[in-house]
Amino acid sequence: MSSWIHVAPLVLLVGGGLFIMLADVFAKERPELATVTSVALGVSGCVSLAALVSGVAPQTPAFLTSYLAVDKMALFFDVVICTGAALSTLLAGGYLREHGYERGEFYVLTLFSAFGAMVLARSVDLLSLFVGLETMSLGVYALVAFRRASARAVEGAMKYFLLGSFAAAILLFGSALLYAATGHTDYAGIAEGIAAGADPRLVLAGMLLVVVGLTFKVSAVPFHMWTPDAYEGAMTPATTFMSVAVKAAAFAVFLRVLVVAFGDPMSMSEASGWPPALAALAALSMVYGNFAAVSQQNIKRMLAYSSIAHAGYVLVGVVAVFRVGDEAISAVLFYLLAYTVSNALALGSLILMGSKGREAVSYDDLRGVGRRHPMAALPFVIGVLSLMGFPPTAGFFGKYYVFNAAVHSGGGMVWLALLGVLSSAVGAYYYLRVIVVMFMKEPEKGQVLAVPMRSGYVVTALSIAGLAVMELGLMPGWFLDLAVQAAQQLVA
Amino acid sequence: MEVGLGEYLALATILFGTGAIGFLIRQNMLIQLMCIELMLNSVNVALVATNRFYPDNHAGQIFSFFVIAVAAAEAAVGLAIVIAFYRLKKTVETDEADLLRH
Repeated sequence: MSSWIHVAPLVLLVGGGLFIMLADVFAKERPELATVTSVALGVSGCVSLAALVSGVAPQTPAFLTSYLAVDKMALFFDVVICTGAALSTLLAGGYLREHGYERGEFYVLTLFSAFGAMVLARSVDLLSLFVGLETMSLGVYALVAFRRASARAVEGAMKYFLLGSFAAAILLFGSALLYAATGHTDYAGIAEGIAAGADPRLVLAGMLLVVVGLTFKVSAVPFHMWTPDAYEGAMTPATTFMSVAVKAAAFAVFLRVLVVAFGDPMSMSEASGWPPALAALAALSMVYGNFAAVSQQNIKRMLAYSSIAHAGYVLVGVVAVFRVGDEAISAVLFYLLAYTVSNALALGSLILMGSKGREAVSYDDLRGVGRRHPMAALPFVIGVLSLMGFPPTAGFFGKYYVFNAAVHSGGGMVWLALLGVLSSAVGAYYYLRVIVVMFMKEPEKGQVLAVPMRSGYVVTALSIAGLAVMELGLMPGWFLDLAVQAAQQLVA
Repeated sequence: MEVGLGEYLALATILFGTGAIGFLIRQNMLIQLMCIELMLNSVNVALVATNRFYPDNHAGQIFSFFVIAVAAAEAAVGLAIVIAFYRLKKTVETDEADLLRH
């Protein structure tokens, strides 16, 4: 009876993508593709949100064929992914026009890629995991290479493509080994097979390869090499999309695989399972990401390293799942939502502060912008404070819930939480440094000044993201409640 | 001699390892693309062989069709990026990609 809700968000995106491909070819005047795209994404996200809130969402996990789940977690990630993608599209609407890259492919690729991300977040089978992952990634590779005359963009795309496909192949080989060990490709079947005594060597090798493949996608150290290059090379709206939607979807499937397929005592053992390995990756990502971000000159590169550090914080929550289950999962979900709006706000105001030929990319470009153009600098300050975890912003509660879950897990996890807090103190240094440069430094003589662009799209995107950051920071309870419901349904 | 699942998996692992090592030591993007194809095809060997030992459904064979289709799509995007790179640099060696450093 409510089965239309199970496919509506996906159908909207595909329909929107096909419509835009036609509209781009046949329309006589330049159509407002950014509006169409962001409306499709916005409606799709709102449908999922409405289903979550109104109780149309299935109370027990349902399945759309045996490959895709229809549960509250899928709907929650619809909201996160659609928010991230819609904000990137709105930013692109202003950016592409200002810088003269206005081509319809951008919106089509974003829609199809967001579709792949939503399939990925729903996948309950290694097959749909692989297909969703590739649908998402292939779109993003093309988005990075969008400025095909720019050597930096193509170089970033090349590095991202090569390492991304290498990681996908590793993940795929792990999937084949798990299939060989258990005879199943769905996560629940794999769990049954492991419980029934599948060859532990094959299971362990398969699990290792699948986890390595997924850590590539969430850009955790030591599989992060592509991140700064791809983020810097891509246009800023594409960077926004990569850093929020792609990362959220990868973490969604990460949670599903770990909880459903590898939730047995052997895989979760503290001696030889995934918790100690992922804890090490989390620690490395937090420390390396934050320290490497300090020495960057380019703001996008700094934000790339900061996104590696954020992947580390989220991984802390993922590891805590083996002890506290739904509390940790809900913390991860909330964190991803908070990170999505905060990062979109920071990158979006970076777009706003530059115009054609005068883009704001380095610290030097931002000298004194805060004093010359306070309204353009304000969203950046809020976004950066939220990324830093400053109360009362979204980022504060994201970090609070994740570290709280880690502390509740006890044992070595307390140390991990402590390391997280200490490394975010390092993070505070480089985040605050941007604000200092913007408000307290004067531009050097003869320097080309960054001039803010004028665009209704960018202003709309920043208003939405800014409101969301403050809303999540002042009243986190409402969304946290949705995250808790989704988490309880996953572990039940 | 009866060939068991172990032998097939060993073959797949050797092929996968060859592809992975080739990907890591070669600098030519086209060769690296071929290495990725080799890795994906080794997965197909493992999937199809495994399906023989779990005959109650066709999960492995279906999976391998999807792998083939996705590999083709991936090659299309990859070659497009190679061409874009070649136009700018007049080479396909990855060690020429050295603009993005900090």
